[in-house]
Amino acid sequence: MQNFNYLEPGSLWEAVGILEGLEGKAFPLAGGTDLVRTFKRIGFREHGVINLKKIPELSGVKFDGQVMSIGALSTVSELLANSEVDEHFPVLAQAARALGTPQIRNLATIGGNLCTSSPASDLAPALLAYQAKIIITGPNGEREVAVNEFFKGPGQNVLDRGEILTRIDLNLPVPGTIGAFLKHGVRKSHEIALVNTAVLIIPVRGSDKIAVARIALGAVGPTPFRAWQAEEQLAGAEGGLPQFEEAAKIAQELASPIDDVRASADYRKHMAGVLVKRALFQAWGGKV
Amino acid sequence: MKREIVLKVNGESYQVYVSPEKMLLDVIREDLQLTGTKKGCEAGECGACTVLMDGRPVNSCMVLAFDAVGREIVTIEGVGGLEGLHPIQEALVEHGAVQCGYCTPGIVMTAKALLDSDPNPTEEEVRKALAGNLCRCTGYVKIVEAVMDVSKQISESPELREKLSQSQEFGAKTVGR
Ligand SMILES: Cc1cc2nc3c(=O)[nH]c(=O)nc-3n(C[C@H](O)[C@H](O)[C@H](O)COP(=O)(O)OP(=O)(O)OC[C@H]3O[C@@H](n4cnc5c(N)ncnc54)[C@H](O)[C@@H]3O)c2cc1C
Ligand code: FES
Ligand code: FES
Repeated sequence: MQNFNYLEPGSLWEAVGILEGLEGKAFPLAGGTDLVRTFKRIGFREHGVINLKKIPELSGVKFDGQVMSIGALSTVSELLANSEVDEHFPVLAQAARALGTPQIRNLATIGGNLCTSSPASDLAPALLAYQAKIIITGPNGEREVAVNEFFKGPGQNVLDRGEILTRIDLNLPVPGTIGAFLKHGVRKSHEIALVNTAVLIIPVRGSDKIAVARIALGAVGPTPFRAWQAEEQLAGAEGGLPQFEEAAKIAQELASPIDDVRASADYRKHMAGVLVKRALFQAWGGKV
Repeated sequence: MKREIVLKVNGESYQVYVSPEKMLLDVIREDLQLTGTKKGCEAGECGACTVLMDGRPVNSCMVLAFDAVGREIVTIEGVGGLEGLHPIQEALVEHGAVQCGYCTPGIVMTAKALLDSDPNPTEEEVRKALAGNLCRCTGYVKIVEAVMDVSKQISESPELREKLSQSQEFGAKTVGR
């Protein structure tokens, strides 16, 4: 391929076929907010895009009362405009609100956010906390991957040759589930996270105890991840600041951030603990 | 390889012959010669290149022109027009919210999209809506005041509300090449 190639398949199977044939040469195009930036850096020549926008199955958000199915091409703005997302998956809505700028949110898709597999993704921690299922279609048909198995490293994921992320399924959380998303950056908005976290707590009904806690962290490791040991610490415990501090300390030890021009690894690690504590406390109804 | 595409900009259809790697921003500025849309960072950061796509502000430096086929694009040339400035433009002038002016077209587009969808935003909402439009000169205070002022004018004047709801088409018709 000499020139930049622009392809616009009208069906998923066609897209999979093209992608399989042009692996490493042409890339699926969703919102383009990551891909176009990459091409601007490495050059357009010799490459190509397979625009996914003409594939009907990839669009739309559906909710049947139990499962919310989010098409890979749903933009961050579409998630924010959807009242069912806000009502049933508020932590995802909070994460969506924290992503980029209004202009970027109008372009950026949830599928692109996952496939870019940036350790600092804002949607990933929320999807980890909700235990999202990722639905993938490829040359061998459809398969499903739990979101905590999707990421393999910075910019790397489980997608194989010819595979396209088609949708994300979220199960309705148990009634009474509470949660929070927090992002820490240098500025208030328009900022890639130095650390971000999404937490969900399922309280034991009619008591101050925690049945289940889920804590996900981003930007402080090669991939966004669940802080399992911190979650275990909270399961069955009383909810309250001392317990949250203890869990946050464990979560902080699981963080392995990088040093760069924006912040030191030590600072990021410290803030991971602070943010987890705040998120748990905020979810629990406290103010920090 | 260059191909012919049709873009709908400010209500008019333009046939252009462009390479698939060309950005919407560059087609607007170079092929359509609508140079009101500014080119800043070319990386989605500054908002100088903001245009409306199906009514929503986007960074035209991040959109391939081919990917904009079939969408309704509105640029700054499609706002206001021969009949005078758009109230947002007027307010920016009134409030001294324009200095070098490089960010202004982008600010106008974003503010227009905001007020079209929510004519009564809080100051916080205005600031959030403008978070993707960087201004190196004004310090933002006057820009936010100007947008709040337009919002106030809209809530006080049914005629203005009426005029603005028509101006989406009105702007489109008065654009020239
Ligand atoms: C100014 C700016 C600010 C940003 N701020 C944030 C932020 O605050 N938080 C954050 O998380 N991100 C941020 N981003 C990154 C980016 O906007 C998001 O990651 C976005 O969600 C990517 O989605 P997209 O649709 O634009 O992806 P694209 O750029 O279209 O695609 C990204 C990658 O995924 C692949 N891909 C896309 N869709 C699929 C699919 N369905 N199946 C298989 N592969 C696919 C593409 O081939 C490409 O490799 C920012 C980007 C910019 C330019
Ligand atoms: S030129 Fe497009 S955002 Fe800066
Ligand atoms: S007036 Fe100069 S950048 Fe805003």
